[in-house]
Amino acid sequence: MDTKELETTALLAQIELGKGDLERLGEAVSQMLDNFRKMNELDTEGLEATTHALVTDNRVRPDSPVPSDLADALVERSPELEDRFIVIPNVL
Amino acid sequence: MDPTFETRWSQFSAKKQAYLAYARPMEQKVGSFLTYRPDVEAPQAGALQGLPFAVKDNIAVKNFPLTCGSRMLETLVSPYTATAVARLQAAGAVVIGKTNLDEFGMGSSTDLSALGKTNNPWDFSRVAGGSSGGSAAAAAAGLVSFALGTDTGGSVRQPASFCGVYGLKPTYGTVSRYGMTAYASSLEVMGIASKSLALTEKVYGVMKGRDPYDQTSLDPAPGVARAVKTIAVLDGLTDLEPAVQRAYEAALDHLKALGYRLLPVHLGTLDYAVPAYYTIATAEASANLARFNGIRYGLRPEYAENPEDLIRKSRTAGFGDEVKIRIMLGTYVLRSGFQDQYYTKAQKVRTAIRNDLQKVFDQADLLMTPTFPTRAFVHGDRSMTPYQQKLADKFTVTANLAGIPALSFPAGLEEGLPVGMQFMAPAFEEGRLFEAAAKFATRVAAPDCPGTSLDWSK
Repeated sequence: MDTKELETTALLAQIELGKGDLERLGEAVSQMLDNFRKMNELDTEGLEATTHALVTDNRVRPDSPVPSDLADALVERSPELEDRFIVIPNVL
Repeated sequence: MDPTFETRWSQFSAKKQAYLAYARPMEQKVGSFLTYRPDVEAPQAGALQGLPFAVKDNIAVKNFPLTCGSRMLETLVSPYTATAVARLQAAGAVVIGKTNLDEFGMGSSTDLSALGKTNNPWDFSRVAGGSSGGSAAAAAAGLVSFALGTDTGGSVRQPASFCGVYGLKPTYGTVSRYGMTAYASSLEVMGIASKSLALTEKVYGVMKGRDPYDQTSLDPAPGVARAVKTIAVLDGLTDLEPAVQRAYEAALDHLKALGYRLLPVHLGTLDYAVPAYYTIATAEASANLARFNGIRYGLRPEYAENPEDLIRKSRTAGFGDEVKIRIMLGTYVLRSGFQDQYYTKAQKVRTAIRNDLQKVFDQADLLMTPTFPTRAFVHGDRSMTPYQQKLADKFTVTANLAGIPALSFPAGLEEGLPVGMQFMAPAFEEGRLFEAAAKFATRVAAPDCPGTSLDWSK
């Protein structure tokens, strides 16, 4: 993968790459992509894609309230809070 | 060994001081835990009463850290407990620690943990395997009666093989994933490492079953029970480390001596299992790990210009190299224009692999392969590069792609290090794995790691 492609991919993945990272991680990524291309040797014409091996139906639960006492505990995990609000830097 | 094994471990609370006198120095050498809290009382009721166990640190246990071996989650404490863990606790087992792992379960050595180093109890200069290396090491070192891991592409079975214990990867969906940190959702399942096969089976029996909190969870639906008679083996299997090749051939002889019919088969898709697996796993990882952004929890930078800057700084500082590599690979194979070439292709290869395995199971009750082509390797990149480690996953990832159950079992020692073989069975046929492994154990028992002991329970 060339540097430009790698930079675009990193941007999409929300990761910053320094100069050394580009080289080190880029090589590992390219090596795996070469390996992925090996799949082209296998004829898969006419085969359906498997997204899940064993899951067939989309289950839904009854539309009724279920108690959960986790909300406060989850909010408290935030690195910065004001009352029950999560603080982030200014958007604008 | 087995009835004694459980009886002895059930003495954990009563013989706590003797246990600690044994376990603390052992743990200092092995380093299997990221959090170790053996000062707890085990309940004295239930099918697993009094048994202490460990949980891989990417599975939630209330009021325990949930670091996933990552700087990103170093300070996170879980406010809830995974369903499978809660079922074990309700059956009388007690969590005594959280075990080390490759960051977010991505690796084969546990050396990729950002938070600790785990050594193989058989040889401290070697890795315990991964990614559930801490769990397998704790089980092998006699620190717990069993340990939970997660198996996305072999992460329970490979360390079990390296440490000389049993390692079960159940059928996809039979164990709830609620409370397990998602890496590759369509492939992964919680598994068990233990020195006792009987206890592994019992623990699986308690953990399994449908859970309203995981919509992919299933009640196991085994077919008509039948005794294992025919075991398929790969025709012309070479490219193994010589020591593993020897153990493999010895295992074939043991199976023949036990009266099994061995059926050589050719698995034409095996060479494509690794690329298909890593394409799918990294694609799913790029989506699953998008949630780690330093806002609601996790590592947050000291200063950020705006929310996007915060997210990027959090992820750049919070993730290690291997995690970044896999997220970028997954992002790339899902990018528009590349999706058909990689991701969709991989899903079709996955179908071809399932079809291939189906043909094997039309003729045989089980398939046996080595778990991994090598024994435990030494720390660092000298003996096996990260790329070579990935290529070596071909025997284990196959079961994850097909969703079928597999069990790594100890198949002897070669030059002082354990070697594991694995049985694979059709979906829901865990019973066949246990049956054949129990017979095999009459010839080759799980080895006792030098320096380990259950004498504290006397």
